[in-house]
Amino acid sequence: MNAVLAVKQYVAKMIEDSGPGMKVLLMDRETTGVVSMVYTQSEILQKEVYLFERIDSFNREPMKHLKAICFLRPTKENVEYLIQELRRPKYSIYFIYFSNVISKSDIKSLAEADEQEVVAEVQEFYGDYIAVNPHVFSLNLLGCCQGRNWDPAQLARTTQGLTALLLSLKKCPMIRYQLSSEPAKRLAECVKQVITKEYELFDFRRTEVPPLLLILDRSDDAITPLLNQWTYQAMVHELLGINNNRIDLSRVPGISKDLREVVLSAENDEFYANNMYLNFAEIGSNIKNLMEDFQKRKPKEQQKLESIADMKAFVENYPQFKKMSGTVSKHVTVVGELSRLVAERNLLEVSEVEQELACQNDHSSALQNVRRLLQNPKVTELDAARLVMLYALHYERHSSNSLPGLLTDLRNRGVSDKYRKLVSAVVEYGGKRVRGSDLFSPKDAVAITKQFLKGLKGVENVYTQHQPLLQETLDQLIKGKLKDSQFPYLGPNTLRDRPQDIIVFIIGGATYEEALAVYNLNRTNPGVRIVLGGTTIHNTKSFLEEVTAAGFRGRSTESSQAPPRPSSRR
Amino acid sequence: MACGCPPPFGDPAEVREGFLCPLCLKDLRAFQQLQAHYEEEHSGEDRAVRAQLRNLVQKAKRAKKKLLKQEDDRTDSGSQERYESFSYGGVDPYMWEPQEVGAMRSHLSDFKKHRAARIDHYVVEVNKLIIRLEKLTSFDRANTESAKIRAIEKSVVPWVNDQDVPFCPDCGSKFSIRNRRHHCRLCGSIMCKKCMELVSLPLASKLTSASKEALSSHTSPSSSPNSVHGSRRGSISSISSVSSVLDEKDDDRIRCCQHCKDTLLKREQQIDEREYTPEIVKLYEKLRLCMEKVDQKAPEYIKMAESLNAGETTYNLEHANDLRVEIQRVYEFIDALSKKILNLGLHEEPQPHPKTLQLQRMIRYSATLFVQEKLLGLMSLPTKDQYEELKKRRLHMAALEAHRRQEEKQKDSTSRSVAAVNGDASNLKKGTVRKSEGWLPTSSVSRQCEIADPLLQQIDNITSFIKQAKAANRLDEVRMLQENLRQLQDEYDQQQTLKAIELSKKQAEEEEMQREELQVLCEKEWEREHHKFMSQHSRTHSLDFREVKQHQHEVTKENQNLIAHGLDLDITQMKGNPSSETTAVQQLPAKDNFIFPVKPQNVPQHDKDQNRAACLNPFEDETDTPLSEEDPANPFAKDISPLISFSNAIVQSDKKEYNPFENEEDEQTNGASVSTSNPFEEDENPCQKSGGNSGNPFEEGSSTNPFEVEDGNEISEEEAIEEELLLQQIDNIKAYIFDAKHSGRMDEVEVLTENLKELKYTLAKQKEKSNC
Repeated sequence: MNAVLAVKQYVAKMIEDSGPGMKVLLMDRETTGVVSMVYTQSEILQKEVYLFERIDSFNREPMKHLKAICFLRPTKENVEYLIQELRRPKYSIYFIYFSNVISKSDIKSLAEADEQEVVAEVQEFYGDYIAVNPHVFSLNLLGCCQGRNWDPAQLARTTQGLTALLLSLKKCPMIRYQLSSEPAKRLAECVKQVITKEYELFDFRRTEVPPLLLILDRSDDAITPLLNQWTYQAMVHELLGINNNRIDLSRVPGISKDLREVVLSAENDEFYANNMYLNFAEIGSNIKNLMEDFQKRKPKEQQKLESIADMKAFVENYPQFKKMSGTVSKHVTVVGELSRLVAERNLLEVSEVEQELACQNDHSSALQNVRRLLQNPKVTELDAARLVMLYALHYERHSSNSLPGLLTDLRNRGVSDKYRKLVSAVVEYGGKRVRGSDLFSPKDAVAITKQFLKGLKGVENVYTQHQPLLQETLDQLIKGKLKDSQFPYLGPNTLRDRPQDIIVFIIGGATYEEALAVYNLNRTNPGVRIVLGGTTIHNTKSFLEEVTAAGFRGRSTESSQAPPRPSSRR
Repeated sequence: MACGCPPPFGDPAEVREGFLCPLCLKDLRAFQQLQAHYEEEHSGEDRAVRAQLRNLVQKAKRAKKKLLKQEDDRTDSGSQERYESFSYGGVDPYMWEPQEVGAMRSHLSDFKKHRAARIDHYVVEVNKLIIRLEKLTSFDRANTESAKIRAIEKSVVPWVNDQDVPFCPDCGSKFSIRNRRHHCRLCGSIMCKKCMELVSLPLASKLTSASKEALSSHTSPSSSPNSVHGSRRGSISSISSVSSVLDEKDDDRIRCCQHCKDTLLKREQQIDEREYTPEIVKLYEKLRLCMEKVDQKAPEYIKMAESLNAGETTYNLEHANDLRVEIQRVYEFIDALSKKILNLGLHEEPQPHPKTLQLQRMIRYSATLFVQEKLLGLMSLPTKDQYEELKKRRLHMAALEAHRRQEEKQKDSTSRSVAAVNGDASNLKKGTVRKSEGWLPTSSVSRQCEIADPLLQQIDNITSFIKQAKAANRLDEVRMLQENLRQLQDEYDQQQTLKAIELSKKQAEEEEMQREELQVLCEKEWEREHHKFMSQHSRTHSLDFREVKQHQHEVTKENQNLIAHGLDLDITQMKGNPSSETTAVQQLPAKDNFIFPVKPQNVPQHDKDQNRAACLNPFEDETDTPLSEEDPANPFAKDISPLISFSNAIVQSDKKEYNPFENEEDEQTNGASVSTSNPFEEDENPCQKSGGNSGNPFEEGSSTNPFEVEDGNEISEEEAIEEELLLQQIDNIKAYIFDAKHSGRMDEVEVLTENLKELKYTLAKQKEKSNC
């Protein structure tokens, strides 16, 4: 069930099967991302892979002394590139791996192009997704739906990605989906179709309890991606943006050249692996420890040349020191930038009100707080808009809803039209009318009691009181209490036992807050393994883009507004 | 034994600690599996022994906890918690049990089927062309009439009728009197003059003769049918006529169409490739051979070194030394080979393709990684004297431990089933093997010495058990005991690490302050530095006049400069710290900085001689100068850091360009940090000296830890520095230079080189001293 390991094993096998000798890895844009998420360059160098090339690059020189390992998505373009490549082979021998099911006709045209008999292997290795963490994967697709319907190309890609995950983990699951979402149903059917068609591929050893695939829709919980985050991984993504483990720091004031872009990978950065799920305060103290550790290891200046022993100490510290210094400067920079942003954008205060909006039901106090923050000049445009969005989502049907007033406040504040329109767009995307589950006011007795008790106890941490809806859904699923009426099975069979291996996929993107929730569920429920996936991993900005791309552009709040601007849809 | 490689923080083994089998240390990842494993593997083994062992381990753990509590809270919570993995009953996704490789499906047979059909067709085409070419060139063209040639040509392949082709099939132009038709001699088709190609006779002969070679090699029964290249092209068995001597002077050529020419050229290329092995491949193969050799020898050596460092007598010291030298030689060879690969074709015109260069760079880079990882992993050997000392100490410790052990056993004799037996045994002077239940600590000599660390006691106890078990030929138990011993030693090493960290904290703080000062200086004074540098020199000269031995003084001065360079190393370190990378630093013009590198280059040899002649003790100079470190008169100290950060940044950005993967500088050293000689242990030197360190229970009476012993030596012989140690140092620094050179940090190289020179110099001095 480890997504990272699954991809890693595929790549390792490819390299291993090609035998000894110098190798080049030939990839396309997407597979480059897939491989770079699980292997570092130095790791892969040790396996005699010395060059990494894109199949579509024209700047490749014939090097007949190299073996080529091609890891490609089975797209039309790639097949075409490969045919060209085989007609005039640049390398001595080709090992071809497709990341998904490839058609027989493509195999035929490739075979016919291989007049020089350079191909030694043609296989399907299903590493067709971005493995973010062992329990998190993404497809890096933004804007998967148009309105409430799939974009056909994205549906195909999502089906491929999801089935590839199932194949790489060797799971042939039962499928449940969110009834209120049409895209969820469509995707469930498509996955089922593939499983039926490729039945011999999905013929795995049966486990006692079959694995379960649960397909959800982002529109059921539009709150989570709108919140500011305080755990390390989620926070970095929210404030700086993580793209295939890379973080762009070029906008950080006074950044040094080599820190313009840093890599945060739990696979080879131990500090990150240990801290990615801790909250910001804890990170602060851990960074301090890291620094101290680092300084301890730093060779002593004064005594350096007093004796040879000191020099010896220095020399032996040197490699460790270099590694540490890289880690330290990276994390210090990242955390420093985070805290700068927190202060600059007044995020503590903003987040407190966000959490109140998301978790409590006190309308007047919430409204008052939002109004107050809208007056604060330190609050950014984005944060102001997101507060109003959260308010709009929560108190959509409230009797004394004063959304128009807040929108006017936004306008008076000079918040751009784009954001004001997004308020209604978000409501349209994830409003009450759309939601299948109840985000805000739990109905069943247990949940109400729980909330009541929680209110009595008071919250431990105001900034992290919000629990994503996914947490509740999965909790019910694990306990076997998830209602069939809301999340029906696809097909006649249902699961009698409690599920053990669960793959949950969110159409419209997951978030790192949900990744954390799943991580915690994994750790607290013995025998249960959950993998979370999404068409992408969202932060607020990308989520708003997703909403825009889906075509919910919102109604302009003022009738005097100029004619609608041209669509930003792609 | 694992005493040489205490896991530094973040060793993955630490995280898995909970699920190791206590007997065989196999990592089982989950509790259920551990249980199953235990029942399966170890149920047959003697219960009593197991009970005892378990007891020992638990004791060790308790002792560890107790010790940790005594530590400063900060260290404790900091270093412990940080790297701990929590467990709430569920499983961290990182710890999910290993899985088999995901599903895969092969299309190879399908592919081959389609290809075979296609290839047959293609091969037939090629062979046909070559047979015709053969016929066309098999007669003496120069001395044959053109009419006759044409007749032969026509007989080889039927020419297409002129009337049938009104337009050139390739370019579509109309044939006329001016635009005449030409026939391809190989396939008989028609094209215009523009589209016509020519095959020269040398090319033709090359193609035909190669086919014959292929023929001869492929008709032999041993030829494999699967070989990828040209295996089918041998089927030209119809060729009987031998294209004998072709007249080289004859530049007559054979006309053919583009398609035939293409096919022939492809064929030619294949022939070329088959015969040609590029230089890089030959070198690379050698490189891999060397690496394999290292992979074989290094573990053997490490085993020896560990054993020797522990004072055991299993291996011969000289033998180990020989092996070390041998391995080092292989490393040098690897270095040389990879360097050769790196520079292949660099001086040729035209320059090789950038991708070729990139390939060469990457090979060199990976060789560097390899050397770093393995070479630094080669632990040092004790010198002869050290070894003798070690052996003595070991014996002594064993005896000591045995004694203590017995006392202890007497105390808690009630708790164990074997207690009664042991209690009896403790009355005897010599420990002997009594029963299979357990081993007694040997107590040949007993001395009064307090050993505060219970862990050490345990370790020694087990060591003596092992000996007894060995004597009794209970090999399986020996193995178990050894495993146990290793576990104990690991824990012991960890403790030491913690201790060391704690004690060096203060120094780190001081250092930090100093660093800041330096930085300020760096920022403020860089402009003035050059000037000062000049003035300093003039001052030196004026001083010189006062000196009787002018030259000698200058040498001393240079010497100081050298030291200053050494000091600069500290500043080198700062580049990792983001705060030191101020903008001012980066703006520094590189020009200024390049002034000094030139100087020291020619100094060392020169001054070595001089100094040797001089009766002055250079050591005194050395120890003095560091005090003047902040002295503004010495510009070098500040000069170097900007250059470093500057060039380093360049190097990094360079790398980013050609690499789709993350290029982590630190990854590169990651491997190197595997170094068995844990720097933490070394850290103890300064700490013990400065801190007094009375609270350290490990200080006296170390038994198995090689570093411990080194400490002892250094403390006792403070000034006299071991030659051996120096030699090792030199080795190490060489490795760093190698690394730095590779990644292009020339400034560091320089600094390190200075260091190296100084070391060599000290070594020479040392020898001189000992001679006196």
